[in-house]
Amino acid sequence: MAQPLRPLARRLGQLARSAAVWQGLAGIALFLALWQIGTWLRLPMLRHVPAPLDVLVQFATVVQSRQYWLSWYVSGQRVFLGYAIGVLLGVPLGLAMGMSRIFHGVSFPLVEVLRPIPPLAWVPLSILFWPTMEQTIVSIIFLGAFFTVVLNVLGGVEAIDVSYQRAALSMGARPWHLFWRIVLPATAPSIFTGMAVGMGLTWEIVVAAEMIASIQAGLGFMMWQAYVGGNIALIIVSMASIGLAGLLSSTLIWALGRRLTPWLRRT
Amino acid sequence: MFREWFNRAPAFGLSLFTPVYYEHIAYSVYRAYTAFLLAVLLGVPIGLLMGWRQRVYRYTFPLLEMLRPIPPLAWVPLAILMLPGIEPPVIYVTFIAAFFATVLNTLLGVLTIDRSYFRAAECLGFSPRNVLLHVVVPGALPFIFTGLQIAMGLSWFALVAGEMIAGRRGLGYMIFDAYNMAQIPTIIMGMLTLGLLGYLSSALVRRLGRALMAWRSL
Repeated sequence: MAQPLRPLARRLGQLARSAAVWQGLAGIALFLALWQIGTWLRLPMLRHVPAPLDVLVQFATVVQSRQYWLSWYVSGQRVFLGYAIGVLLGVPLGLAMGMSRIFHGVSFPLVEVLRPIPPLAWVPLSILFWPTMEQTIVSIIFLGAFFTVVLNVLGGVEAIDVSYQRAALSMGARPWHLFWRIVLPATAPSIFTGMAVGMGLTWEIVVAAEMIASIQAGLGFMMWQAYVGGNIALIIVSMASIGLAGLLSSTLIWALGRRLTPWLRRT
Repeated sequence: MFREWFNRAPAFGLSLFTPVYYEHIAYSVYRAYTAFLLAVLLGVPIGLLMGWRQRVYRYTFPLLEMLRPIPPLAWVPLAILMLPGIEPPVIYVTFIAAFFATVLNTLLGVLTIDRSYFRAAECLGFSPRNVLLHVVVPGALPFIFTGLQIAMGLSWFALVAGEMIAGRRGLGYMIFDAYNMAQIPTIIMGMLTLGLLGYLSSALVRRLGRALMAWRSL
């Protein structure tokens, strides 16, 4: 048990000694101090904004409530569902578009027409289209993740050096080999980039959708309720929670990508 | 839907021939471009400075990384409380969306410049100003324009949501208003208009990038 702890302790020790960490913390501390002083001085922009210390107090009380963790769970579930469907459909579609010229010709114009429409512009139409609000939100999240993934995968396939394919073909590779040995490994980094970018987008969409569609739970709803109720410290706590949730999910995707593409040199 | 769009006397009061439609478009375009320009004017210099001067990078990057994960749209309630009027909150939210994409890509662009260029410039006795103008800016330009394209897409995305939540005019508001009155053709009309405007804006940025980086198209 103690074995994995020792490198961690050493790394923490190294972190504590490096100047960069302290300088970064100093930057953050300066920001918070300016904010605190700004509220003391009652600057016009910060007239309604509570000081960081008040926000911290609010955070400490909110963490104890069940409602708060329920919001996390509900939003997380929506994000996960929409995101998973988006990735599961987007990756094969992007690969197919990159590999088959005919398929590319048929589907690319359609993707290009639908893609520039911002996901949230779909909200009203989805509300009319889907029977429940839950499905509406998931479908909007799906749209956000889907187009990002498709375009990144497609770009990845198109960036493959043609000589790899020629070399494989001249050595008698089957299309199936081409796919598993060349296209998929070469595209893997782009797939994970697309997945990570798409993940960032999904959290943004879930928040906005929850605010617009007035659904009964979730982090976005919590924030909107705090806004309506005039509890500004809770608004900031919600913002921080959403940021944290997005950060955690993106870190997860990057870690997964790193594990699955070990041949890439990371800096 | 198209019959409605091209109708001189539309059933729901909005088509290519009504001035209100253009008013919505004008408001959205004005907000998107104001926010985008602000983001470029602030984001590119900050990104360049962070990439070029290590001290600046060390002091500011963690702060940037702390604020960046907060989605622009989560700023909406706070922006309404902090800024007066109707226009500033919407523009602020759109600005936030474009700003981080611009800063990060610019920073990345400077960091990818080969170190030997800096050393060569130093050996040739370049002043800091000349290093900035002849090494840092041209070296980062491709990344800056990638960032600007992403930022343009993001600002339209945030704008629509901002208008839906807090706007009084603009295409996002038009869509949401049409939804409240169950005017489906107008909804689709708004969506397609937005798609077209977003596409044209990205094309504009791309064209500008190509014009400024003539050496890359050889």
